[in-house]
Amino acid sequence: MKNFFIFAKHKNTTTVSILFLSTIILLAILIPFLSPYSDDLIGAVHLEINNQAPSLSHFFGTDAAGRDMFTLTLRGGLVSIRVAIGVVLMSVVLGAPLGFIAGVSGKKLDEIIMRISDAFLSFPPLVLPIVIAIALGGSLNSVMIGIAISWFPWYVRIARAQAMIIKSSDYVLISKSMGASLFHIVKKHILPNSISPVIVQASIDAGYAILTVAGLSFIGLGAEPPSSEWGLLITASRAQFLYHWWVIVFPGLFILFTVLSFNIIGDDLRDYLNPKIENN
Amino acid sequence: MMAGVIFVVVTITFFIAHWLPGDPTALWVGSHPTEEQLEVARKTLGLEESLGKQYINYISNIFHGDLGTSLRTKQPITMELSSRFSATFELVSVSMLLSILIAFPLGLIAALKNNTSIDLIIRGLGYAGLAIPVFWLGMILQIVFFAWLGWFPLQGRFSTDIYMNTDLIINTGFILFDTFVSGEWALFINAVHYISLPVITMSVAVVGIVIRISKSSLMDTMKEPFFTTLLSFGFSPQKAVTSSAYKNTLVPVSTIVGLSYGMMLGGTFLIESIFDWPGLGQFGVLSILTGDFPAIVGLTLIYSISYVLINFLIDMLYLIIDPRTI
Repeated sequence: MKNFFIFAKHKNTTTVSILFLSTIILLAILIPFLSPYSDDLIGAVHLEINNQAPSLSHFFGTDAAGRDMFTLTLRGGLVSIRVAIGVVLMSVVLGAPLGFIAGVSGKKLDEIIMRISDAFLSFPPLVLPIVIAIALGGSLNSVMIGIAISWFPWYVRIARAQAMIIKSSDYVLISKSMGASLFHIVKKHILPNSISPVIVQASIDAGYAILTVAGLSFIGLGAEPPSSEWGLLITASRAQFLYHWWVIVFPGLFILFTVLSFNIIGDDLRDYLNPKIENN
Repeated sequence: MMAGVIFVVVTITFFIAHWLPGDPTALWVGSHPTEEQLEVARKTLGLEESLGKQYINYISNIFHGDLGTSLRTKQPITMELSSRFSATFELVSVSMLLSILIAFPLGLIAALKNNTSIDLIIRGLGYAGLAIPVFWLGMILQIVFFAWLGWFPLQGRFSTDIYMNTDLIINTGFILFDTFVSGEWALFINAVHYISLPVITMSVAVVGIVIRISKSSLMDTMKEPFFTTLLSFGFSPQKAVTSSAYKNTLVPVSTIVGLSYGMMLGGTFLIESIFDWPGLGQFGVLSILTGDFPAIVGLTLIYSISYVLINFLIDMLYLIIDPRTI
């Protein structure tokens, strides 16, 4: 954690991204108390003020039901952050231990784990989450599970590769020769040293999770009204977006910048942790 | 190897299909069935067999090109999919070609001009491409180029009136190819006009990926001794890249292109539904919305098999572009 702050101090891009994400989360939590239109979040309809362009009373305009887009869009951040954390956590929890086991054990078990996890990678990225989500009922949670099931093989691969490198490195061989147990080696050497590539991937995937869930909400899976998930807000306005640009522009920009922030943090982390690149 | 992967894909799909919600017999017989009707339906659908027997039936049906019947359109799924395959294949191929043509040179330029303002712009482009929600980008393009400027049509594949007045010598379903071969330029230009916005939308993400991979692999190549040797012979860095060093980037770039195909296939669900493109993705979204599970399973199968096939072809391509493999 301390290292993370040192890292963030060195990278301006990361500092900006973290500030942006924290602001989004904070505003999403506070908006029901700050906004005069907080009843829009629970499905209020004000047809008399529908489809209004952005103005001082409605910063992002209003949608077809007269709901305040500013309030809805800001609140959408909460769903997206939940999605990001949920999907990444599930993928890591499912994938990383399997990868460690495969890498440490080698031989038959390794072969079995890798064959099974590779099977999930032979589906095109969006297709497997779609069928799994449908099979599980199509709710937001089922979409998240679907995405996690199609992404965990990447963590298996990363964790396995890391475990294999560290397993055969000199210091581990030495500690083995001194009588260290397998449990001790895994706990003291392999886990702490192989976690960083997993964190890099997790940070980038957090962004893509938001992007994927927004896409699936757009085609009718995942978030349901009155949720203000960004993809759902955009779909909800498909009938009138052509002549009311504000109903889709703002949720889309929020998706864009949130995903961008996660990508930048992930990339900066990768550079920072890469011993081949010098960090001043 | 490839047959093995396809077998695994088919098996996973079978189990997912089994696990899908809804009782297929209920959809088959309609409302208020009698006990006898249900029995007949279960027999015709083969649901009374053991799971193993059903699995074998399923595999043999696939080999006979039978993917079942769509619950929504009541047509054989194989027919539905094959009539839409060309539209999707055309969209994806044109987008892939365009992405590579744009992104590969940009990636190389970014590597040559590392840490200059040009590199910064290209890098920004790559980042944006990966973070933009494609469905949103498609809608923004529709607002700007259809509603505001009126430069491009809103959706569809061609204008029906021009299509009606055109005689195509061949009809493969690939409209750009057919019109090009037949010399029907009016319809060709019309189709190009219609495909432009969907292609731009679909390309953006892949452009982002290809820029990053071609840049990073050229950067690695430029650190190798042979590159320094070329420079010491008096080659300019540009010349060294265009004459030989670019070849070292071809293998990682084609690997990424293979993976990007999968991304584009996934993207068809979103993009075809925005641009009303009469392809597989649009069919998929309609099937999702109406709960047409056999159709979704059929589509999953087609998409996954094409994805495996394309990556297999790219593996073959390595034999040509990587001299070490011979």
